[in-house]
Amino acid sequence: MLSPRTSWQVTKAVWYALFMREALSRTTGDRFAWFWMLVEPVAMVVVMVYLRGVIAGGRHIAGAEFIPWMLIGLMGFYLFRENLQRSLGAMQGYKGLFAYRQVKSIDPVFVRCFMEGMLKTFILVLFIFAGVLLDIDLIADDPLFALFCWFSLWCLGVGAALTFSAVSELVPEAGKIVRITSMPLLIISGVIFPLNYLPYWIQEYLLLNPIVHGLELLRMAFFENYRHVAGIDMGYLWFWNLGLIAFGLMLHIRFEPRLKAQ
Amino acid sequence: MISIRGLYKRYHKHHGGDWVLKDVNLDIPEGVSVGLIGRNGAGKSTLLRLIGGMDTADKGEIIRDCSVSWPIGLTGGFQGSMTGRQNVKFVARIHGGETHLAEILHKVESFAEIGKAFDEPVKTYSSGMRARLAFGLSLAFDFDVYLSDEATSVGDQVFRQKATKAFKDKVGKASLIIVSHGEGILKQLCQAGILIDKGNVTWFDDINDALDEYHAKNSPPKPPPDKGK
Repeated sequence: MLSPRTSWQVTKAVWYALFMREALSRTTGDRFAWFWMLVEPVAMVVVMVYLRGVIAGGRHIAGAEFIPWMLIGLMGFYLFRENLQRSLGAMQGYKGLFAYRQVKSIDPVFVRCFMEGMLKTFILVLFIFAGVLLDIDLIADDPLFALFCWFSLWCLGVGAALTFSAVSELVPEAGKIVRITSMPLLIISGVIFPLNYLPYWIQEYLLLNPIVHGLELLRMAFFENYRHVAGIDMGYLWFWNLGLIAFGLMLHIRFEPRLKAQ
Repeated sequence: MISIRGLYKRYHKHHGGDWVLKDVNLDIPEGVSVGLIGRNGAGKSTLLRLIGGMDTADKGEIIRDCSVSWPIGLTGGFQGSMTGRQNVKFVARIHGGETHLAEILHKVESFAEIGKAFDEPVKTYSSGMRARLAFGLSLAFDFDVYLSDEATSVGDQVFRQKATKAFKDKVGKASLIIVSHGEGILKQLCQAGILIDKGNVTWFDDINDALDEYHAKNSPPKPPPDKGK
């Protein structure tokens, strides 16, 4: 007889197994998988820098270099967005595995978010290292605070992933809406141009978006003289983080049979 | 021992759904192999999935105080782009087999007999090869109770004989719960039977009684006497 295991032992075994599987299929599934992981953010930065030069004119950011400013913003935004988007497909992608009763519906979401966090952190470190070699100032002025902001943004992604992975499985249309909001979110989160340029009454509305808080805090940690948007609050970001994580967990507990149904 | 208490199950369709299983109360004793009998759509597979914990009941509970396998021959959990070996490792890890991974891999490899294909992506397998791999995988673990949904009906003749033999070898060490339309298999492997008919579930201590009852209920109506022209 197989010896009975505690719930925690089962969960640990499932996470480890899913992680190994995810790592394998992410890095070897496609011949250029590794190549794209590095090139995609670089290509985005190049395109965005060019766009800013042509359309918006001027590259002045108060208290920070333009390219590092944009790179940090893009990486932070991707950290959030990839967590969310990778998890949207998780329920569908793992349907077959729910046949093993040990696998719960939140396991793939956790594992994918963890995987994304690791990859994005690795890539950020790689960029910082490359920046040092190219004499671009990418080293955080307040490294501990930067780590915490990075972690906060990741948590926001986890919360959104937990919530929307369940919602998009229950209401398939929701997944499509989340996917098309990616580009507008990129713009209203102040990734490409600073929100400081906008009139105050618009800023007030944009500050409802927790991603803005996360990105501005991350930039403050990286550039000590950075003139951030007024009204940035770490507490507000964590209010969203905890709210979304709690709501997502509740959805997964309440609707688990329906999420796992074939 | 597996105890089922006041189990209700229905599938939600657009206009509600009838109960597939209605107030099922059963005790499946330890060491007794059971055959599930019933017509297509009677709810045999549903009951098997509920016992295996792959599906949840609307009401009632199932108490398992023994280790229960996933349905043998389940191929849905294989990831096509990964090799047979990687897939086996994955399932072994879920079931806490990390410490004796090599032993499990060896058992599966020697049972499945798919040769070098074991290190090729599963998407290149034929359905027979998939079935061999899935079957070997189930047998590599020592479960108390094995669930099987027509698992012995796949594969070629040689493999079918091998699968049936593997089942027989398990008798004594483990018990089986089988869904099958092959009466030969049921009589060979099972002692007891469960007949499912219109949501009602009846336990028979002898599989032959269950089969007789099934035939009595479902014998085709006698053709009307030929009146001639």
